[in-house]
Amino acid sequence: MCRVLVIDDEEAVRQVVRRRLERDGYSVDTADSQESGVEAIKGHHPPYDIVVTDMSMETPTSGLEVLQSALSADVFTEVVVLTAYGNVANAVECMKRGAFDYVEKNIPGVDVFEVLSIKIGQALDRRRSSLATLRKIEQYSNPK
Amino acid sequence: MRPEDALCGPNADPTLFARISELVATSESLDEILKYIIEEAVIACNADRGFLAIADHDRGELDVRYTAGSGWTEETRIDRLKVSEETGRGITSHVAATAMPYMSPNVLEDPYYRMYFEDVRSELAVPLVDGHKRTLGVINIESTQLNAFGEGHECTVVGLAHLGTIALTVSELRAREAAIVQIGKELNALPEMNMILQKVVEVAAEALKFEDCSLFLLDRASGKLVLRASRGVLGKRVGEASYEVGEGLTGWTGEQQLPVRLQNPLNDPRWRGRFEEMPAKEIGAFMAVPINSPSGIMGVLRVQRRKSPYKWFPNDFTEEDERVLATIAVQLGIALDNARLLDQLVRTERMAAWGEMSARSAHMIGNRVFAIKGDVNEMEYLLGSSNLNIAEAMQLSESIKKGIFLLEEILNEFREFVKATQLDTEDVDINELVKQSVDEGFPKRSQTHVKFRLGKNLPSIQADSKKLMRCFCELMENSVNFMPDGGEIKVCTCIAEPSSRKWLRPGQQSGKYIQVKFEDKGPGVDSELKPKIFDPFYTSRAKGMGLGLSIVKGIVEAHNGVIFESGKPGKGAKFTILLPYDEPIRELTGK
Repeated sequence: MCRVLVIDDEEAVRQVVRRRLERDGYSVDTADSQESGVEAIKGHHPPYDIVVTDMSMETPTSGLEVLQSALSADVFTEVVVLTAYGNVANAVECMKRGAFDYVEKNIPGVDVFEVLSIKIGQALDRRRSSLATLRKIEQYSNPK
Repeated sequence: MRPEDALCGPNADPTLFARISELVATSESLDEILKYIIEEAVIACNADRGFLAIADHDRGELDVRYTAGSGWTEETRIDRLKVSEETGRGITSHVAATAMPYMSPNVLEDPYYRMYFEDVRSELAVPLVDGHKRTLGVINIESTQLNAFGEGHECTVVGLAHLGTIALTVSELRAREAAIVQIGKELNALPEMNMILQKVVEVAAEALKFEDCSLFLLDRASGKLVLRASRGVLGKRVGEASYEVGEGLTGWTGEQQLPVRLQNPLNDPRWRGRFEEMPAKEIGAFMAVPINSPSGIMGVLRVQRRKSPYKWFPNDFTEEDERVLATIAVQLGIALDNARLLDQLVRTERMAAWGEMSARSAHMIGNRVFAIKGDVNEMEYLLGSSNLNIAEAMQLSESIKKGIFLLEEILNEFREFVKATQLDTEDVDINELVKQSVDEGFPKRSQTHVKFRLGKNLPSIQADSKKLMRCFCELMENSVNFMPDGGEIKVCTCIAEPSSRKWLRPGQQSGKYIQVKFEDKGPGVDSELKPKIFDPFYTSRAKGMGLGLSIVKGIVEAHNGVIFESGKPGKGAKFTILLPYDEPIRELTGK
């Protein structure tokens, strides 16, 4: 089963995202801060397939820290950043540094949970294809 | 004849003038000096009785204030003498009106004489006249002998009258000085500008004997000089009566930034007479000075005097009056400018708080809405599924309700933050308010108990009782929350302790404050957190947006007060609120 870690300092946000992702069939863990999120990433083997993190927690750039530790644990872990209204600049920075995408929490008239669900599906596809490519490369370089 | 010559007779006292001059030079009590003068005049002239009457220029009357010799009763003492030049109204009145000494060798044949004591036969009256030729009072001595007084006596009494004039003038100058100093202090204290303006007008009018005094300030929005404070009938039109700059004498002063000092202002071509303290034809003298500040004209301070019904009491303003008024205007200008800068500072701080507030609230509201939206999505999914799980749906509904509740809580704090600076003030007894706050706001089933130490006879303050109560409740609620196992909260009220005053802002230093202190035995506030606890959104509890203490601070500051925390970390928190109170004006005039 696909493993997802959800990091947000708001209890209500963690609950509602977990609920939706579990409905989609993922196995979901949660963490309530940048710090405990980084801990969870380091301590989880095999690595999480997807990390969904809030951008602004202890600091306005907490998401960047989470991204960094997720990629250093497993370079193919896909990170989706959640941003609060009007804080897109940091999220774009995350994408430049390798995040899969960002989702704004509040877009009037848009079902952001549907968006999130789709993005996570796409992220998972990319991870699978990355891993498949990696396996092929490994096969070519180490033919038995 | 020189005064000394009068002292050659049987009552010669060569030390008389030396003694009185010394008293005039050293005593600060006008009563003591004048009483001494009349007593010595009676002795030196071998008179049977005498009195010194002081002129009241507003009423055109003389008050018999100091008496000497025999035969005085309360009734005769409080008698007032109308000043008149006419015959038959009394010798004293005649002397006050003419400002010349008068000797009557036989009063029974004197056309001016009016009888107070039946045994009087001769009388000598000498006026106290100042440098502006105004009669300040009259010394009157009487004898039961015919022809009791000679030129020598007259010279002695004239000399004593001069000393009396010096004493009266010095006393008036002292009162002026005291008034100017007091106005300076009031202006520095700055609890509430409008109140101060009114007080300045009153002190100026009382102590400086300006019958009426009005203050017009330039309203930047309309560009007009608007009445801000006045004594007397114009008091009702504060905030409404206004002059265009350049209109009338008041507007002219504002436009030219020059003082105006006039007798009979109605004859001046600039006169408009739109807003006066008295019917126009009664105005005898008019004076207005501009109030300037580094940033330009701020207003006009203006005084008027009634036409004196007694032409012997001229009622025009002197150069000295103008200097005094100009001094007050300078002080006012500086104070108003300071007030404007302080206001700007507070506003800037508040704007900064607003900026952060909108960013933070957008974030928090965004998160809550996100969660509610997710719950609604899940609810829809559940409703769409073939077998509806009621328990799960209820759980979602609870979650939605909770989310909405949190939103409302944020909204509430938002509202309180906004309203913190809008006060509805009344006279408040701080001790009553503290007790009421504990009665109504303190959690009844708490393990924590409150101990009072309330100061006695504290002055009342001008405050918004509801908002202050909210502050007190918030502070006590904090204490209760930080002492989960119970404990004690100590609430003390008193006049501000000297150690607390260092927390006042620069402009508040000279004001008078009462203090309310809340002490608990909880964990206290860490040293590094102390500067932050009053910032908006600083919270160590998960409730609302963490605006609690910043709202408290906003309310206290709107009262022109100060709040600070001075407990030792680990030993408990100690919150102190200083709130300004107002003292009634001290009586400054010699009246």
